[in-house]
Amino acid sequence: MLMKSTVSVVALLASLAGPAMAENLRPDALAPLDPPPAPADNPTTAAKVALGAKLFFDPKVSGNNGMPCSACHLPEAGWAIQDPISFGYPGTTHWRNSQTIVNSAYYGKLFWAGASKSLEGQARSAARGAVAGNGEDDLMEARLAFVPEYRKAFREIFGDEYPLIRNAYRAMAAFQRTLVQTDTPFDNYMRGDDDALSEQQKRGLEVFAGKGNCITCHNGPLLSDEAYYNIGVPPSPIWEEDPLAQITFRFELYAKGSTEEMYRHTKDDPGLYFRTKQKADKGKFRTPSLRYTKYTYPFMHNGTIETLADVVEFYDRGGDTNEFAANKSKLIQPLGLTSGEKEDLVAFLESLSGPEILMEEPDIPEIAPLPVAQQ
Amino acid sequence: MKPHSSLTKGLKVGLLAILCAGAAQAEAIKPKDVDPALAELGKRLFYDARLSGDTSLACASCHQPDKAFTDGLALSEAYSGVSHFRNTPTLANVGKRAAWNHDGRLGTNLNDVTREMITETYLMNMDMRLMQERLKQDPVYVEMFRAAGLGEPSNGGARKAIAAFQDTIVSRNAPIDTGDLTAAALRGQALFNGKAGCVSCHSGDRYTDDKVHNTGVQDNPEIWADPERHIAFVTYAKFMGVENYMNLRQDLGAFVRDHSYTSRRTFLTPSLRELTHTAPYMHNGTLATLEEVVDFYNAGGGADTLKDQRIRPLDLNDSEKSDLVEFLKSLSGDSFDTDAYVWRKDDYDYTLIENWRETAN
Repeated sequence: MLMKSTVSVVALLASLAGPAMAENLRPDALAPLDPPPAPADNPTTAAKVALGAKLFFDPKVSGNNGMPCSACHLPEAGWAIQDPISFGYPGTTHWRNSQTIVNSAYYGKLFWAGASKSLEGQARSAARGAVAGNGEDDLMEARLAFVPEYRKAFREIFGDEYPLIRNAYRAMAAFQRTLVQTDTPFDNYMRGDDDALSEQQKRGLEVFAGKGNCITCHNGPLLSDEAYYNIGVPPSPIWEEDPLAQITFRFELYAKGSTEEMYRHTKDDPGLYFRTKQKADKGKFRTPSLRYTKYTYPFMHNGTIETLADVVEFYDRGGDTNEFAANKSKLIQPLGLTSGEKEDLVAFLESLSGPEILMEEPDIPEIAPLPVAQQ
Repeated sequence: MKPHSSLTKGLKVGLLAILCAGAAQAEAIKPKDVDPALAELGKRLFYDARLSGDTSLACASCHQPDKAFTDGLALSEAYSGVSHFRNTPTLANVGKRAAWNHDGRLGTNLNDVTREMITETYLMNMDMRLMQERLKQDPVYVEMFRAAGLGEPSNGGARKAIAAFQDTIVSRNAPIDTGDLTAAALRGQALFNGKAGCVSCHSGDRYTDDKVHNTGVQDNPEIWADPERHIAFVTYAKFMGVENYMNLRQDLGAFVRDHSYTSRRTFLTPSLRELTHTAPYMHNGTLATLEEVVDFYNAGGGADTLKDQRIRPLDLNDSEKSDLVEFLKSLSGDSFDTDAYVWRKDDYDYTLIENWRETAN
């Protein structure tokens, strides 16, 4: 097929390189994953991580003392939810797919449309959102103060007289920065181990970097350019099937800021628009990392695609369409992949996941009567 | 009987009593003019648990109609995961109040009170933007909002309607209003207006001066023993800007309004209407019966350095105390557990919008 001029130079070169077998292609646009950075104002320490792990599983950091982070980011479900749309706060449903915590340490912005600038900020937003944690900082902070173990830990780690909720978010973020996977078959291959990928996976990598054109957006060590695209994912069917979903959909339009006209007539997730308020950004979402996808199905911001094979089919047909079709990326074109190429591509994608990351849920400390401080 | 012992202390209050004591029959409370469609909408909302964040609490969860819109508990329940640090006040005649909450921190109108109760994190913890969209998903509300002239369901309209419903909650047919007082109640009334001096604060048709006073009601230790209550209290005290709130172990009442020393532990005079339905008593529910309340005042209230000067031992004998209780009981009227005040239908459902794509949001 005709290559579009917008295709990246790397992809073009890769495709011109031809289908030479077992060349052990290592595209410059891809890289193994190094340990994650930590922000200068929140260095990762063992004690902070241990505290963050407890807080991650602790329902006190929610409105009803029932919705910890882990409620929608389950370790045994890929640190996400293996349903199209995430659970909501009791009495609600969410409206987007739950993203995995694994490797979230590397993103510059969090949430599907990049609404948070840091893991620390993401923790706060998720704990407070009406269809997520629905907590209020003052109350959650008060709860933490009634836990003797937390008073001690926050004092030692942060110097808090009583636990400050913003430090709870910092501890959670530090914990999440430990949930990374840097030794997948792909990483080992990129570091020089030619045997880390099977022949089929190597062929899949060639498709990924060449004919499939995946690498144009899914690049770098994270396999994400962290940019935003409308790739023509159709709207979630849940909005036509579930009254709770219809409620949440309108709430999100209302709460995130819409014009009256837009509030009345939008029937799909405007995505990046909520951050930029530019019509050209409607329906755009951040390129997700392809790492750990063995465990994080279903896929896309609304979970409408069930398997990696289905994802490949989606791109092979040039995506689908949605309400904001005018904004659909020109990069998304039919690929004309053979069934063998599709299988190879899926095999390569599987090399981006290592063993499942599981952990035993920590014991959650309980509240107790609060002693008066020694003056 | 020791008639002389209370003579001097009775003088001050006696003056007031002369001003206030009239015929046995009091002026009944006049209902406000309320749009029936608006009030009916408010009634349905009042009993709808979808007005709380996790759909666990309705207004009526704590304000129960068979208890004159209280809950029978010393300290109220609250949102999931916390408990309250105060007693649920009656909503009888709530629209006539000058200020709300035991500390009077809300002093504007019922609309604001309603918003505060629904959105407060330890009460109903509701994001009203989400509440609005819930209401729009219920065709009964869509029709009722329209009928009430409010257009489509909105959180502003909901507050207006709930306030209107509360304005309909007015005491009816209490013996004090019908003139049907027993001899004992009549004797109690004379004490109320005279020797016991109750009327100096419990005045007017609702039997309250709508002011705050320190009567020396003792602390309820349950607040500090139960961390779920204490957590709610800390959240409240912090928000109200109270110093050193983590080490505070007393409810400072209306102090939160002006932060002045003399306001410490002052609370709004409660209405005495519907008392037989609203036990236990006081802002923290520490007095279980009306007899205990009378004993409390007969003893000159509780110990507090800032106690109101008028709260002094009354020297009432047993039969006087009994008469006073009889009078207090005569201030309670018909139950509110009637169709006029209760939404009986369990019809709180959401309906799927079938032609979703073609229907304007």
